[in-house]
Amino acid sequence: MYQRLIARLQSWTLRLDTWIQRVYPQDFDPLYYTGGLCNLFLTILVVSGILIFLYYEPSLEGAYASVQFLTDHVPYGVIFRGIHRYAADAYMVAILLHLFRNWFTDRYRKARDAPWISGMFLLVFSGLAGFTGYLLVWDERSQLLASMTVQGLRSVPGMGEWLVRLFLGGPGVSDTTLPRFLFLHVGPAVTLYVLLWWHYVRIRHPKVWPPALWVLFSVGLVFFLAAALPATSGRPAAPGARPEGFPVDWFYLWPYALARWIAPGWALALVGALIVYGMWIPYTMPDDPSRVLRSPGQAVVIDENCTGCELCYYDCPYNAIYMVPSPYPGKSRAAANRKLLAVVVDSRCVECGICIGACPFEALELPRVLERDIQERIRQGAGAPAPVS
Amino acid sequence: MAQPQVTERPEVGAAPRVVGFLCDWAVRSEGLLNPDGTMRDLPNVTLILVPCSGFIKPAWLELALRSGAAGVFVCGCPMGDCLNREGNWIVEDRIDQLRKRLQRQKIDPERIGFLAYGYHEQLAFVEAVRAFVDKVRRLGPGEGKRG
Repeated sequence: MYQRLIARLQSWTLRLDTWIQRVYPQDFDPLYYTGGLCNLFLTILVVSGILIFLYYEPSLEGAYASVQFLTDHVPYGVIFRGIHRYAADAYMVAILLHLFRNWFTDRYRKARDAPWISGMFLLVFSGLAGFTGYLLVWDERSQLLASMTVQGLRSVPGMGEWLVRLFLGGPGVSDTTLPRFLFLHVGPAVTLYVLLWWHYVRIRHPKVWPPALWVLFSVGLVFFLAAALPATSGRPAAPGARPEGFPVDWFYLWPYALARWIAPGWALALVGALIVYGMWIPYTMPDDPSRVLRSPGQAVVIDENCTGCELCYYDCPYNAIYMVPSPYPGKSRAAANRKLLAVVVDSRCVECGICIGACPFEALELPRVLERDIQERIRQGAGAPAPVS
Repeated sequence: MAQPQVTERPEVGAAPRVVGFLCDWAVRSEGLLNPDGTMRDLPNVTLILVPCSGFIKPAWLELALRSGAAGVFVCGCPMGDCLNREGNWIVEDRIDQLRKRLQRQKIDPERIGFLAYGYHEQLAFVEAVRAFVDKVRRLGPGEGKRG
């Protein structure tokens, strides 16, 4: 049932690509660059965020006024604010596209669980930074969100009060609260770059940037939205106010929209359960061993033929091949004077076979798809008398 | 009502032997193959499924031409969509190099084809293979074994 659903989703994802490619050339398909788009929007967020940071004052009295000053009196301040606001939404859209596309097209299998897990961490920290961004304005919505979060955290068994102190920077809302929120906004954003290192570390030539025209389009879209729908604050937060509703940003605030139906504590538990499930996804669908081409086995170096030429090392898309000083000479003539020897790192190999294609010396094999058999089939296909069509 | 046009194909001798490599993640292979690995629509084309188009050694393409095939092609996923991120770019690059090498040995580089089609593009893939076979047919019989 689950397997059939995932297979169907994969089919739909690829059907969508077919449709997109009726309009755009193959290597221009925006869905092939969702990761690059995330990085692009994150860069926009950092740049606009630094500009906003220059004017922001993290204090109970000053926060709202400083944001209003930025919006009303700083030249193009409202545009910067809008860019930060809409780039954040676009960022989350790009992340979710990236997540679902890579999920449905099986890009989490084998050694690629490390990018998947780091990606889940990136999602969590992005969501956290996005949510705390709404607190920094300190209008009525921020106040309501903060009080709902406090309710949710308080209902965590055992450590509720401690979490609330951590969140508010004290037992209640005080002068230390907004600096704490500012840290909770900027801290996760900085952490994203540490996590991105983890996300990229095993990938050779990661596509971190979409094609130039998509960069221009995305930047233009964000500028356009910032000008067309200026970002605004609600009424300023006041200690006695009991705001009822707020405009929901569905990308970051959906757990709070659930509060209409369930208690904040349960909404928090739901978010936690989703995160745990997300982390577990790479292990939900084990490889089908009967499909030899999907699990051809990890590449094996044929020690006696390896010449240490490094071609596989340069082509491996996952940095799974290390060149080590050769402990002894190879047996074939080409390998007799080698200085280096290729070693496949098991924990990184995804069994794609690209190193086999790189090797001109028959020094690498996929255990379940042997070169000998392929050559035999080539000879069969090429040699026998041709049937008349 | 106009009669449906029957496109004439130049019939130069027998259908040429062609060997093709198909990435298992690219065009869906169900319903495409006969049990012996030839294509159902084009029985002169032998398709060999591989785990990724980057798995294909240029030496294998050369081997196919040397053992009598009139043409050989590789079909990978749409450019940019390789499951292993770079397989089809890498193999395209390797094919370019092989073409230059073979040209120096007086083998027509046109005999090596590179295609890129996605999971749902079976029809377009078969058409592209048909066009490739027609092109190869016009080039005449293959080189066969040297010497």
